[in-house]
Amino acid sequence: MTATQKRVLINRIVMGLSTLSAAIGLFFLFWILYILVSNGVEAINWDIFMFEGAPPGYEESGLKQALVGQLIIVGIATLVGVPLGILAGTYLSEYGQKSKLAETIRDISDIMMSAPSIVVGSFVYAIMVVPMGHFSAWAGIVALTIIMLPIILRTTDDMLHLVPTTLREAAFALGAPKYKVITQVVYRGAKAGILTGILLGVARVAGETAPLLFTSFNDNFMSTDLMEPMASLTVTMYNYATSPYEDWQRLGWAAAFILSMFILGLNIIGRLVLLTKKGK
Amino acid sequence: MTKIIDNIFANSTRLIAITVLFITAWIFTVLFQESLLSMQTFGIDFVTESKWAPNLEKFGAFAAIMGSVISTFLAMVLAVPVAIGVAIFLSEIAHEKLKAPVGVSIELLAAIPSVIYGMWGLFYFVPIVRDLFGGIGIGMLTAGIVLAIMILPFMAAVTRDAMNTTPDILKESAYALGGTKWDVVRDIVIPYSKAGIIGALILALGRAIGETMAVTFVMGNVHKVSWDLTKPATSIPVTLANEFTEADTDLYFSSLFELALILLVISFTIISVAKFYFLRRKRRS
Amino acid sequence: MATICKVSEEKALEIKKFQFTYASADEPSLKEISMPIAKNSVTALIGPSGCGKSTLLRSINRMHDLYPGNKYEGEIIYNGRNILNPKEDLIDLRINIGMIFQKPTAFPMSIMDNVAYGLKLQGIKNKTEIKDRVEKALTDAAIWKEVKDRLKHDANGLSGGQQQRLCIARAIAVEPEILLFDEPTSALDPISTQGIEELVTELKEKVSIVIVTHNMQQAARVSDYTGFMYLGELIELGKTEELFVTPAEKLTEEYITGKFG
Repeated sequence: MTATQKRVLINRIVMGLSTLSAAIGLFFLFWILYILVSNGVEAINWDIFMFEGAPPGYEESGLKQALVGQLIIVGIATLVGVPLGILAGTYLSEYGQKSKLAETIRDISDIMMSAPSIVVGSFVYAIMVVPMGHFSAWAGIVALTIIMLPIILRTTDDMLHLVPTTLREAAFALGAPKYKVITQVVYRGAKAGILTGILLGVARVAGETAPLLFTSFNDNFMSTDLMEPMASLTVTMYNYATSPYEDWQRLGWAAAFILSMFILGLNIIGRLVLLTKKGK
Repeated sequence: MTKIIDNIFANSTRLIAITVLFITAWIFTVLFQESLLSMQTFGIDFVTESKWAPNLEKFGAFAAIMGSVISTFLAMVLAVPVAIGVAIFLSEIAHEKLKAPVGVSIELLAAIPSVIYGMWGLFYFVPIVRDLFGGIGIGMLTAGIVLAIMILPFMAAVTRDAMNTTPDILKESAYALGGTKWDVVRDIVIPYSKAGIIGALILALGRAIGETMAVTFVMGNVHKVSWDLTKPATSIPVTLANEFTEADTDLYFSSLFELALILLVISFTIISVAKFYFLRRKRRS
Repeated sequence: MATICKVSEEKALEIKKFQFTYASADEPSLKEISMPIAKNSVTALIGPSGCGKSTLLRSINRMHDLYPGNKYEGEIIYNGRNILNPKEDLIDLRINIGMIFQKPTAFPMSIMDNVAYGLKLQGIKNKTEIKDRVEKALTDAAIWKEVKDRLKHDANGLSGGQQQRLCIARAIAVEPEILLFDEPTSALDPISTQGIEELVTELKEKVSIVIVTHNMQQAARVSDYTGFMYLGELIELGKTEELFVTPAEKLTEEYITGKFG
């Protein structure tokens, strides 16, 4: 066998192995997706949206409390975290730029984005749950806000940086003060990018379970009192899935399906927003 | 008037940005303060002893720390070769028409919450491990495999991004000398993007070690170090997830906080190494 | 129709009614190109950007095959066979037809390993043979003196002009019959450019050369034959001194006198 024939043979083998590993990876991933959809579709019905949690064996049981709780917790965390994240990102891109302070904030945010979320949960437990004496929706909201902040901050920073300097200069040349240049010109130029960042950030925190386990805790019944423990899809899913009761497990799959579709939907919309912007 | 608003705007953005630093420092401080009791009571024994007996007020985290190390190591051993294979497939082998859909589906799978990987593991993977390897199916091995599958999409996507930074013209030059695809990947793509690939793998490691929900379902939360990987075990995040709501004494809580602090320090260090040694963000010009 | 001169030398390549269509395009980017490439001489391809000169060059070593969906039609005859045949052994073809790119493409390895790369791919393991051939290639590429004391150093430490000569050394180390230059000096300063041009004229004793350039003076300085391309067609191929002085085609004349481009 000549050297070239040997190389061609090795190439075939390695390329085959690499394609095989891609196939293995995709196999597992689509298997999970299939399980999720098949169990989810089977478990889902109108009752899930109509009824609260109930003891195992009850006919009229659903996920109403978890759906409402999820919306409240993630919704308020978004309402607080997004504006704060955008403003902080604005500082990095428009004021701090390459300063030492701005670079440090960037570095720390990058790390916090990948830091274990359960640690944030234990931190919030110490500063909120202990002083208040009980779990509360607020504690969960704070935990998710802390996780969301660096994500929104860094995407905003990156997206604002993409806005051409000439656009800012043109606005300044008309005599606009800096805050107006930023809010009226720069933000508009980066609109699609920031929106995508928000959607992906919300998708990310919506799937968080660990930081809610001992902050907002759980509640099998409908509650809208932010001072009290509150159910979320993720924690409910965890509790139901680890229970021995089949009807609870079925509800767990329904919750998993709803949550995944929500998160995948946000991701897909986020990508489309960026694509349509590029297309223009 | 405009000037005042301008100033207020500038200063409030700065204040909020600094909050990120403040919260990070606050997290470290609070975890440290809360751990003090445990540190004073157990000292270094906390990390070397594996006896974890809440009823006796005796807390040794060795089993949890080892559990984190072993499960993460297992996950890396399983996931790294596959992730590199997927990355090579996506950046060099796949037909143009396949690259985008396969790439995007892998990224989307990276977005699926880890709690769902854990749930899948519990219901569908535990029985398989039980049948193949014996035991009850819940334990270190299952946790390592589920963790591997959970970090695979993230790892593959970041590795692919690193490989894609290799300039086409460099690859073309190697093909122009008669190189095969594998020659080009081995001699050009991997050496060129080495730092990025290592950074991607370490970043995935940093995420894996702090991952809670994918393993909590399938680990078992048993504080025992065993070389039999089919036996139930625990890890730092698994212990935290299972016991935080059960803790009833100050020392119990303090021990859990010390575990959280150890986890934070470990992952903070790993992520910093990945980000600043290997994935140095391009400083803005 | 195009005016194509006869070549007196032996032919290294014969391009016949060649058409090329990119995967993303409906219309061919190169239309019915026929031309000979003379052996042991330099053929330059000139024309305004987008005229297809680089596309034509990259067809000769089938570089377009790296990206799926591209389509070749017609023939390129090399050593009596049509290299556009789908069964053509591309590895073998590319060993015999080397290429130099627009930018220096030093691989992320030492100077020595860069030049030895093609040799090692061919399975040459004898260290003395590799060393000798690397030295010869570096000498032929007129860079031996500058790098002989730092062969183990990272090739990316060299200047742009040195890197480009290193790439030439890497290409000639495997002793190809044809060398393709794709605007080899577009990223270099004037002094390095002059060095590369001198090298090109020296190298033609050993190899047949096709060079794509956007610089007409460069074509006039280095080449024996010049082909002028416009909108994917070969308008004229002539002996360089004739084409620049007495072009046969009106379009060629307008281009070389600067009426467009």
